[in-house]
Amino acid sequence: MAILPRSWAVIIANVLTPLAVLVFSSGFFPYKPLIPGLARFEDGGNYTATPKAFDKVIFMVIDALRSDFVYSNNSGFLFTQSLIRSGAALPFTAYASSPTVTMPRLKAITTGSKPSFLDVILNIAESDTSSTLAYQDTWLAQLKANGGQLVMYGDDTWLKLFPGMFERADGTTSFFVSDFIEVDNNVTRHVSTELSRDDWSAFIMHYLGLDHIGHKAGPQSPYMTTKQQEMDSIVANIYTSMEQQQHLQSTLFVLCGDHGMNDAGNHGGSSVGETSPALLFISPKFQALDILRQSPTDSHSDFQYYRTVEQTDITPTLAGLLGLPIPLNSLGVFIPELLDLWETRSQRIDVLLSNSRQILRKMNEMFPNRSFDINSMDIACDSGPLVGVDLALCAWFRVNILLQNSGGADKNDLYPELESALFVFLKQAQEVISSAASDYDLRNLLLGLAITSFVVLLPLPTIYTLLCKSGCAGAFFALCLLGYGGMMFASSYVEEEQQFWNWMFTAWVFCLHVRSSILPRCSMPSQERNTRFYRLYDLCYSNFGALALLLSHRVLRRWNQTGQKFATDPDIARTFFPSHRLILWFLVILTYANTCRHLLAHRLSKLWQLCCVTMALSAFFLKLSYVASDSPELLPEALLVLWKRGFDGGSTVLFTRLVVVGIMFLIPLSMCIRNIPQLREMRVVPSTVFHDALTLFLVTQSRATNIPIFLILRAHANILATMNLSALELAITSLIAQYMTFFAFGGSNSIATVDLSNAYNGIGTYNVVLVGILTFISNWAGPIWWVSAAQVLRLNQARHERESHMAVLTFHMAATLLSVMAACTILRSHLFIWTVFSPKYLYAMAWAILNHLAVNLLGEVLHLISSKLANHSAVELL
Amino acid sequence: MASPPPSPLTTNSAASAPPDTSNKPAAPPVNILPTQLATTYSYIHPAALLSAFAARFPALVNDPVSEMAQQLPFLALAHVAYVMICLPAAGTDSATTTAAATPTSPSTPTAAATSSASSATTTTTGSTTNGNVILRPGRVGRRRTKDSSSSSSSTASAIRGRVVASLLSLTLTTLLATPVLSILLILFGAPFTTHHAQTVLCAAHMAILSSLALVYVHGVDGNVWKEVWGAKRPGDVVWGGALGTCVGAWLGAVPVPLDWDRPWQAYPITLLTGAYVGFVLGSVLGRSVLFGKRVRFEEGEDVKKVD
Repeated sequence: MAILPRSWAVIIANVLTPLAVLVFSSGFFPYKPLIPGLARFEDGGNYTATPKAFDKVIFMVIDALRSDFVYSNNSGFLFTQSLIRSGAALPFTAYASSPTVTMPRLKAITTGSKPSFLDVILNIAESDTSSTLAYQDTWLAQLKANGGQLVMYGDDTWLKLFPGMFERADGTTSFFVSDFIEVDNNVTRHVSTELSRDDWSAFIMHYLGLDHIGHKAGPQSPYMTTKQQEMDSIVANIYTSMEQQQHLQSTLFVLCGDHGMNDAGNHGGSSVGETSPALLFISPKFQALDILRQSPTDSHSDFQYYRTVEQTDITPTLAGLLGLPIPLNSLGVFIPELLDLWETRSQRIDVLLSNSRQILRKMNEMFPNRSFDINSMDIACDSGPLVGVDLALCAWFRVNILLQNSGGADKNDLYPELESALFVFLKQAQEVISSAASDYDLRNLLLGLAITSFVVLLPLPTIYTLLCKSGCAGAFFALCLLGYGGMMFASSYVEEEQQFWNWMFTAWVFCLHVRSSILPRCSMPSQERNTRFYRLYDLCYSNFGALALLLSHRVLRRWNQTGQKFATDPDIARTFFPSHRLILWFLVILTYANTCRHLLAHRLSKLWQLCCVTMALSAFFLKLSYVASDSPELLPEALLVLWKRGFDGGSTVLFTRLVVVGIMFLIPLSMCIRNIPQLREMRVVPSTVFHDALTLFLVTQSRATNIPIFLILRAHANILATMNLSALELAITSLIAQYMTFFAFGGSNSIATVDLSNAYNGIGTYNVVLVGILTFISNWAGPIWWVSAAQVLRLNQARHERESHMAVLTFHMAATLLSVMAACTILRSHLFIWTVFSPKYLYAMAWAILNHLAVNLLGEVLHLISSKLANHSAVELL
Repeated sequence: MASPPPSPLTTNSAASAPPDTSNKPAAPPVNILPTQLATTYSYIHPAALLSAFAARFPALVNDPVSEMAQQLPFLALAHVAYVMICLPAAGTDSATTTAAATPTSPSTPTAAATSSASSATTTTTGSTTNGNVILRPGRVGRRRTKDSSSSSSSTASAIRGRVVASLLSLTLTTLLATPVLSILLILFGAPFTTHHAQTVLCAAHMAILSSLALVYVHGVDGNVWKEVWGAKRPGDVVWGGALGTCVGAWLGAVPVPLDWDRPWQAYPITLLTGAYVGFVLGSVLGRSVLFGKRVRFEEGEDVKKVD
């Protein structure tokens, strides 16, 4: 068999793609250099440690504790609110910068530094230990260096970040999202034992249940209030112990969230809900400060309750209160409200000075070519508007002048001025350091870009001849690519990418409509066309196919509102279905019935029918059991009662595995059972057992509210099947449909919309590979379905048509990847680089590596193998 | 301006073209009437339309619904004037307008073939050369001049015919094109549960821009409207304007998702702007460089090709 050079070009392009992604990523997500070692008091120079305000700390993290969960009117934290009213708790909103996922946030809380975006990936690939904080300066390391003992219960991210740090620990994995109860009981059962012991100086708890409820059911879920009340009772328990027990007299209790959540209950992005967790410092000592606050307060839509501080401020504040040196890499500023714990003003100034010297050292590290010596000041502070480092330097200059004036003597009248000058400097320095661009490895960025450009060039000759030959479709494809490439440079279009694909889809349907109204259709053999049914069918589809496509697409477009600008608008999945549950379940049952009908149509023996009906029924009951346990508010009472009576208490893990194995088993089974050929003509639309079994599996891996989408997808495929699309048109249709359905299922270019609710179906113990695969499948269910549907539509394609299909797909993948990479390189100092463009790059990686290489290419290879096998068996039969 | 177009009925290379009649347009491309007034006004109208739109733009941003509703009668009036002055009405003899290049005259069998569904009055020669409005299916609005020899009365009846034709096309535009365009707007992504007034008004504006002239020129000739539905009319000032309006409105959706938070990004404004600009561009291009050309979708052909 002669191998054409142009198919080799496509193969080489696909092989080079992972390399390009790898090289570019290594340049785009560099490890940030950190100052090694632990801070000591003598480092800073001539000052001494201020007396500590507390001996011990109880640090309680509640995952995804958004500020309003504690502070607003409808919170379950009633005891905590009474503490705020009495002044025993100082409430704040702590700004958590993007990426708002647990591991980077814990790094920010403990080191006081801003974690890099790489930590997002490491957060998901949890087994990775390269991101450990064992050798970094944290307040935990400082406590341990000062002879303290630490204990830790809860999220095992802490154990991975701090290996060997804890005297006693019990970790729970944070990845079983559907577990609301056990994760928290596992922490709570240790609380009273630890409270009665006096050997620790830091007692850390990390509760995960609230986050899990958010992911599964959202912030408005009925579980939420119960969970808040449970958390509140633990706060009450700890506070009472602090009041009563002697060894807890000098203990600070910190209650905080690591990040918030958005209205859908997810997090990772930079919306205001996600970046606004609560932060409370609690101790009976604070009552003496006499700060009285209102609590609860009215709900704020911007989640900014009380005063907003940076999350990194926790580190220097804790260090100051516990009498520790401030960790070296901290960017935090001591929280002013807590300064009042020290009685003399000189002590307060000392605390702020040590904070300033530490942050000045960090600044020195970042701007090595600037002189921070006060005597060789080279800028004129009085003239003109200053920016960035200069402004910080001038603030420091002013602090020094005031210091010299005070001369160490207790001129109390200078202290307030000095205090405010110090705060001005600290805030300014914090801003300068955190906004400084990260160091990209530009060489690797350009190398990655070069390899991707090469990947684009490889299939270009094939594509060029193909596009030139094919008129309107070719021009449309070129315009689509150019438009997409340009769009990647505008942050709002990246956020609203679904609009582009919906817009393109409508235009493409119009193109197909115009084209099909020109081409005479003669797809079916004449004897098949004779029956009245087919004539009606054909007539409807040919005249109104495009209209039906547009109509169903219009419904699809409203299914899940996504993106940023219109994300909160009412839609079908989140607004309509919860209040029309019967319609939802009618459609869900219809989807299962339709899939079952398609499966049945393949073989008509009794055994096959029995197997198909069994599989479809058990898949449906599996979904029912998931919904009943995760989001019972979606179930009508009748179904819920039925469920409770019949199935409750069974092992869903085992059940899931049985169903998945059963679905996979359908494919070999269909080959064994003999086909009855006479009845094949009944089939209107071509399909394969593989496609229908895959549909059943994808339905299982989708959220209940998304299941009826498969009905629409089926209708789309049926209409397209009647349109006699050419190879290029099919390739374009498949591409647009893949992207369009990804967004229709609720996907977006934000980390926050990664749906984890189906990522643990049937998984007993955490396994990064399996969870990764299931996460991908449940988020890319639409694209995967379309890849398979396009395979079905292309069953009769000739070899060269199949090759050009792959060439088009490869070219599109490479071109989109190139435009995203170019945007990330050119806009690397853009304000939104970490909130918009980097997530987009991660998604582009997933589209290229997983959706293109793993799904599209694998589908093609599978088809080649199966057709080879079919040929072989045909030859053998002859 | 374009040179006189090649005859739309002389087909191009038959090898690649489908064998059926899809190559021949149901009606030839339409030209602006060859009078001085028509030529001048055909330039004034789009310019006036655009400048009026630009002048009223701040008011449109301020309150889209009331502004669109207020401007609708003026737009209708201006457009009716435009089609009456510049375009041949349906059923009138277009031989004078498209000059010798168009072999369509009532006496030739071609015209009889293209208007086969119409009543026999179409083919009666002489008396129907001027002022005869045929709106298929033939019963509505057919006017017949009694006296063809008197030039003054024929001019008067021609004007009367035009008025009737334009009023009828205005009615059809309002009653049929507006709902159809509203539905199309929604199918292409306009809000379905809210903004109903905006959608209908925007569709009404688009209908007047796109369909009024089409109805005025082609009446309710089913074959022409099939071509319109399939977007394969040959390029001329009417079809160019109609297609331009729709494509412009489609392109007008582009700035909506931007996070600029400007008031003019609200739903119908950008679409309407796109429709107006598209109408003007489409008419100008349709009568000049793209005259007689059609969008082609067959494989193995160029995108656009002179018929």
